[in-house]
Amino acid sequence: MKKTIITLITVVIISCVIISAKNLFSMDIPIGNRGIRAAINAGDLDILFIGSSTFRCNIDMPTMDEAYDGRVYDISYGGNQLVAASIQYDEIKSRSANKYDLIVFELNPMMLTEKVALSDSRVIWDLSWDGKKKLWEKLSSSGNTDSSVLYEYFVTSGMDDLFTYPVTEPFYSTRYYKGAKTDETPSPGPEVLENAEFDISGETLVPAQEEAVIELLEKCRRDGQAFIFLECPHYYRLQEDPTYQKYLDYYLDLLDRNNAACILAGDVSFDDHEAAYFEDMNHMSAEGRRLYTKKLIKLLKGPEAP
Amino acid sequence: MSLISVPFLFFLLILLIIYYRVHENSQWKVLLLFSLGFYFLANPVCIIFLMISVFSTFFLMRDPVISHLRLTVFINLGLLIFFRYGIHFGIHDITVPLGMSFYTFMTLGYALDCYNKKTEPCGNLLHYALYISYFPQITQGPIGTWKGMIGELTRPHPYSSANIKEGGYRIIKGLFNKLVIAGRLSFYVDTVFTSPKGYGGLTLITAVFFYAIELYADFSGYMDIACGISRMLDIKLAENFNRPYLSRNIQEYWRRWHITLNDWFREQLMLPAVTSNWNRKASRALGKLFPKAKKGTLRTVFPLILVWITTGIWHGAEAVYIGWGIYFAIVMLLSVCTMSVMKKVRKAIGWNDANPAIKVFQTLRTFLIVCTGEVMFRAESLSDAFTIYKNIFTATRINPSEIAAALVPFGNGNQAAASILIIGMLIAGLFITELKKEHDPEAFTGHRYLYAGFLLTVTILFGVSGQSNFMYQSF
Repeated sequence: MKKTIITLITVVIISCVIISAKNLFSMDIPIGNRGIRAAINAGDLDILFIGSSTFRCNIDMPTMDEAYDGRVYDISYGGNQLVAASIQYDEIKSRSANKYDLIVFELNPMMLTEKVALSDSRVIWDLSWDGKKKLWEKLSSSGNTDSSVLYEYFVTSGMDDLFTYPVTEPFYSTRYYKGAKTDETPSPGPEVLENAEFDISGETLVPAQEEAVIELLEKCRRDGQAFIFLECPHYYRLQEDPTYQKYLDYYLDLLDRNNAACILAGDVSFDDHEAAYFEDMNHMSAEGRRLYTKKLIKLLKGPEAP
Repeated sequence: MSLISVPFLFFLLILLIIYYRVHENSQWKVLLLFSLGFYFLANPVCIIFLMISVFSTFFLMRDPVISHLRLTVFINLGLLIFFRYGIHFGIHDITVPLGMSFYTFMTLGYALDCYNKKTEPCGNLLHYALYISYFPQITQGPIGTWKGMIGELTRPHPYSSANIKEGGYRIIKGLFNKLVIAGRLSFYVDTVFTSPKGYGGLTLITAVFFYAIELYADFSGYMDIACGISRMLDIKLAENFNRPYLSRNIQEYWRRWHITLNDWFREQLMLPAVTSNWNRKASRALGKLFPKAKKGTLRTVFPLILVWITTGIWHGAEAVYIGWGIYFAIVMLLSVCTMSVMKKVRKAIGWNDANPAIKVFQTLRTFLIVCTGEVMFRAESLSDAFTIYKNIFTATRINPSEIAAALVPFGNGNQAAASILIIGMLIAGLFITELKKEHDPEAFTGHRYLYAGFLLTVTILFGVSGQSNFMYQSF
């Protein structure tokens, strides 16, 4: 029995050490080319993007670099939620004194309908302990959590990355540049995009996400931080979907009521019927990404931009 | 209450304390009480149907005549058909009682054995109730025989710390298989099988391969937990798995996979069918069509088809399960019918079964045959299954973009590489362990504490939370 107890105690100690190390120090582990820490290390910036994989796929950072002399960065996570974006904003502000001429937040109306959840375990990896706690409070106050979510959040999330760090980090570094994708993803072609199934008709508004938008606006104003919301073009089938349009109107009304500026997909002359520009309904192909970024830069810099 | 939940941990702890505190002659009563309690907590209403099975079989088979046997079969199979297949007859909103397919087979096996005088009818209702309701096995087996189990359940069980340790080790192994291996693979498998049309051949092959491992890890994980709990109670349960994926031919595979179900089918269906009059007549007719075929081979043809279609239907009345049953019936028939020809071919080409390369080839071939069948078992519909087969043969390319696409179901690009590395290491670890155990069943026993500690740590750190259901629970 003595051996059994010793084994159990050893297991508990080893597990606790690893779990604590992950939760307390993951944000300090060097990660190249992506994440909050790398963005902070980039120093003062002209533009900081905060969004989801849509930003990661649709904003071409080498093109942005040319236009802004390298003073740009993109913090993006898969399915990044507005609730999480608000905490990510806190993190970059509290962990450095960097100045950002403009922060561009993603405007995706369907984000307002996302149930509050941890969409990407990299969020946990990048946040400080305080950030992790704050995000957990948001998750739990939305009533969308139970003990298994708690376990996933504090114990298992990010564990794969931690254990495979020496092998996967060099691999990931080649796939990202300043937080955005670098790969040459082609379009799957019009046939696939025309037949891809999606149904968002049943989506409903999640109040916590709406509150997060207002919170974000208040924080930026409190800090005197310039910001803008950006809607990236989607493939026309999604862009013209009645449910999408309904929540877009709702989102715009919300921003309008709070005097927040935005750039809509339609403000950039980009052909959302051209299948070659898209990888799927949300994400652009490499060709679309470069073209869109060029056009976006013109809009951000004004008509005189080269 | 799931076997992998915190409340169950307390349930087991209380049971162990009481079980080893009471007089050894009363231990089986404690087990019965806790077994019924376990079932009641799972679904209070469904215990009625369990009791109907227990009472009807017990009282009818006290006098094992044909009319009683028929009535027992009618009641038990009737309930099973009503609950399991009622949905196909327009009966909706019904909850299938926990473990019904499994305990029905136990009641039927008992009734048939009584009728065939293979066993004496039970004289103690409570003993019989314990045999049917014993909680570690009621959810998804093993389908133990009355003869094999009742003595084990009712004999005195003195406390032994070795049993607690061995049982604990087995439970940890089961938790690892279920929560880490099956739990992690399920994300990938579910994503791909839900809409297989959207994936390329390489992704589909990966999903099929993962599903085979997931199914094994999930089902054998449950068995490890059930056997581990029983071991803690000093009760030996029948084993259901014997490293099936290391089998070298399909017959061997079915002797090593879901052993108790296959034993049941062999004893209660296959053997009676082989010796039946209808089969004698049918095989004689078949012999006229194939005059050169051996008599013994001909006599197994129809029973094999019957057994495999029944096995398919036992899993569900959906077309995918029937298709799965037919597939294995064909494979088994081909295997049986070509046995003597293949023997001659092997002799002619100097094929040596002891050659390690041939062993590997045979094992891989068997695994591929099994995986091909499992596609139907997992697919949402037969049309999905055929899409998978078609795309595997027509749309499999190995190039960087296909490999990248095969990573997508692991999650978004932020985690896929790490996930596949971890899963790859886990599968390799499982494979090496199984291979080592195949050659040396005592392997790792010398380092049991180290091994258990390692498995438990990995389960804590990499286990998927919220996995309370086992795959075979739904059958």
